[in-house]
Amino acid sequence: MLDVAVLLSIGRHPVSGRARRAATDAQALEMALALRPRRLTAIHAGPPTDGEALRAYLGMGLERLTHLVLSEGADPVEPLIAHLRQFDPSLVLTGRQAEDGEGSGMLPYLIARGLDAAVVPDVVRIGPADAPNSIPGAADLVQALPRGQRRALTATGRFVATIHPSAPPARASAYGPARRGVIEPVAAQATADLFLSDCEHRPWRPKPKLMRVKRGGSALDRLKAATESKSGKGQLLVNPTAEAGALAIYDSLVEQGMLP
Amino acid sequence: MTQPSPVRRRVDPRAERAARTILTGQRPRLLPQPVAVAVNGRRRDPRALRAAALVQIQPRPRYDWARDAASAGATAAVGIGVAATPAIPLQVIAEPAYLILAMLDRPGGEVSEHDRQVIAAARLLADAGGGAVVTVSTGSGDALAEAGSDRHVALPDGWADDYVPERRAAAASALMAALSPRHILFPDSPDGGDVARRVAAAAGERLFAGVQSLGPDRATRQSAGGSLEAGHRPTRLMTVAVDAFPPLDGVRHEARPLDLAAPVMAGEELPPRLGGARRLAVDPDALSLSETDFILSAGNGVTDWQSFAELGEALGATRAGSRVVCDAGHLPRERQVGASGMVVSARCYLAFGIAGAPQHLQGITGVRHVIAVNTDLHAEMIKRADLSIVADAQAVMPALIRLIRERRHA
Ligand SMILES: Cc1cc2nc3c(=O)[nH]c(=O)nc-3n(C[C@H](O)[C@H](O)[C@H](O)COP(=O)(O)OP(=O)(O)OC[C@H]3O[C@@H](n4cnc5c(N)ncnc54)[C@H](O)[C@@H]3O)c2cc1C
Repeated sequence: MLDVAVLLSIGRHPVSGRARRAATDAQALEMALALRPRRLTAIHAGPPTDGEALRAYLGMGLERLTHLVLSEGADPVEPLIAHLRQFDPSLVLTGRQAEDGEGSGMLPYLIARGLDAAVVPDVVRIGPADAPNSIPGAADLVQALPRGQRRALTATGRFVATIHPSAPPARASAYGPARRGVIEPVAAQATADLFLSDCEHRPWRPKPKLMRVKRGGSALDRLKAATESKSGKGQLLVNPTAEAGALAIYDSLVEQGMLP
Repeated sequence: MTQPSPVRRRVDPRAERAARTILTGQRPRLLPQPVAVAVNGRRRDPRALRAAALVQIQPRPRYDWARDAASAGATAAVGIGVAATPAIPLQVIAEPAYLILAMLDRPGGEVSEHDRQVIAAARLLADAGGGAVVTVSTGSGDALAEAGSDRHVALPDGWADDYVPERRAAAASALMAALSPRHILFPDSPDGGDVARRVAAAAGERLFAGVQSLGPDRATRQSAGGSLEAGHRPTRLMTVAVDAFPPLDGVRHEARPLDLAAPVMAGEELPPRLGGARRLAVDPDALSLSETDFILSAGNGVTDWQSFAELGEALGATRAGSRVVCDAGHLPRERQVGASGMVVSARCYLAFGIAGAPQHLQGITGVRHVIAVNTDLHAEMIKRADLSIVADAQAVMPALIRLIRERRHA
């Protein structure tokens, strides 16, 4: 892993709404620092007001950070692709979804398209391929799946990885390095995002939770379904020998697919 | 039944009385009147009605007065909840005005709850103007008819198990070109959302991700970290947030296979850049209780903690316990299941020596399959369980460990 770029955005505290480092972006930076790349490029694209919150990333041990200065409401994808093309990184790390703004999770995919790279979502670990017959430049990845499961895969060539929240936690940001680090502003040209200005925005009001009430049946059935705790099929073995009980449990577990 | 005669025979009380009189003995005796000799159709029998409406005797009688008295005799014998279900009429959309594509996940071949919600959202768009819902997934469409699918496109069966998202995205793009649907909906799940974003990036179209409400001319989603609601006309590509739409119930559609001019699988040209995908073994005790699929749980009836730990390892299950166990320090606090601990949604819950206090049962309402081992036949846990073993936990645990090791080596 010689050449790594990290895309960093400004996060938003879910309760206070204050600007902060975005959680998965900070984890992406942590992963990039842990890889010890030969060159690490950290890029942020956004309006010029973003400066202060970016210092939290510098406090993690990053020396310099490029800030592509855009006007308010501009689409950051094109300037980011143009900037990344100059560096030609072999790996681009991003968070999963922005904490502020549209937050559609499309940016990694658009960047990958612009750079002609593969996309790997929900990554928790990256390392150089260690299988003996692997292609040089291939990387071994571990992906997080629902229910705590993990999947290993290999990626060849350049790729964009988005980081899952269960990746190694980000280190704390230290004040001194945060002040000493350098933010390099770079002016960039961008078109306004027309779709976003076309959307109407209003404060989010929580919706009532979707209840899984079974419709149909008699009033008695619906009442039972809504109020009573589910009771099982109720197969009962009274005082079997320990072996017979164990066998019944074993068969039931096999039937449920919990044991091979 | 005999035909009732237009003129009823007159009752002659004197003659009836004379027929019942026995003259032998010291004085005439009268036999008791036979009960309900004449059945009068117009007369209600409150006792019979009451007996027919009785649906449950234990723990207290319950009556269902809405039932049809004629059919009651049969249903009362079977029990509760067999009210005659009217056949759901089949809804056919022969000439759809437009198509709505629903790309489903079907993890492990099952139609998930989220998949049903996506179909329900697609129906909202389709029913507004006589459109049809086309579902796309591996496996056959039969299971999708009752979820609301009009047409089905089956992806090759081999795709269900291996992870090649680029291939799925290529298939979706090919279908998009072949059918030119008005909208394409994906579940906003890790896999479905990934494919949706790949398709959107390839097509250069805007994705409206995580739709929370949907109508023919307005869709909304959460933006700015969930603090704002963004509304827009429904775009062509959308992902549907989990638990935003109730799945359909009581409908039946065709789910008929859609005949395509060319097979879907045109997307094999470029070699996939991701490969060698395989599941990794994870340490079950490192998973949080809310995430895991299989829980081995101990209560106050467990004293042999050595066997309990070995059993957890042999089964590959996450260990947990009731509050008593965690209070006593046998397991850490974050391993407590119940109202003041974790609410779990595992597929299987194996409980040793747990009484099943309400606070504990609240934690396992979402569990599909419960197995309980308890010495007390009348424990609440035994009632909740799908398989209950009334036996000593200290004897069953070692027997189960032995059985698993035997089967593994065999
Ligand atoms: C506010 C509040 C919150 C609570 N929250 C929780 C919670 O989140 N989670 C929770 O679990 N509890 C909670 N409780 C406690 C709960 O009410 C019960 O006290 C507790 O669940 C009982 O745990 P138990 O079933 O392990 O123990 P017990 O009630 O002692 O039951 C032990 C069971 O093991 C059986 N047994 C005994 N010996 C054996 C043997 N050799 N083999 C097999 N079985 C045997 C017994 O028949 C009995 O059924 C809460 C209580 C309160 C007041």
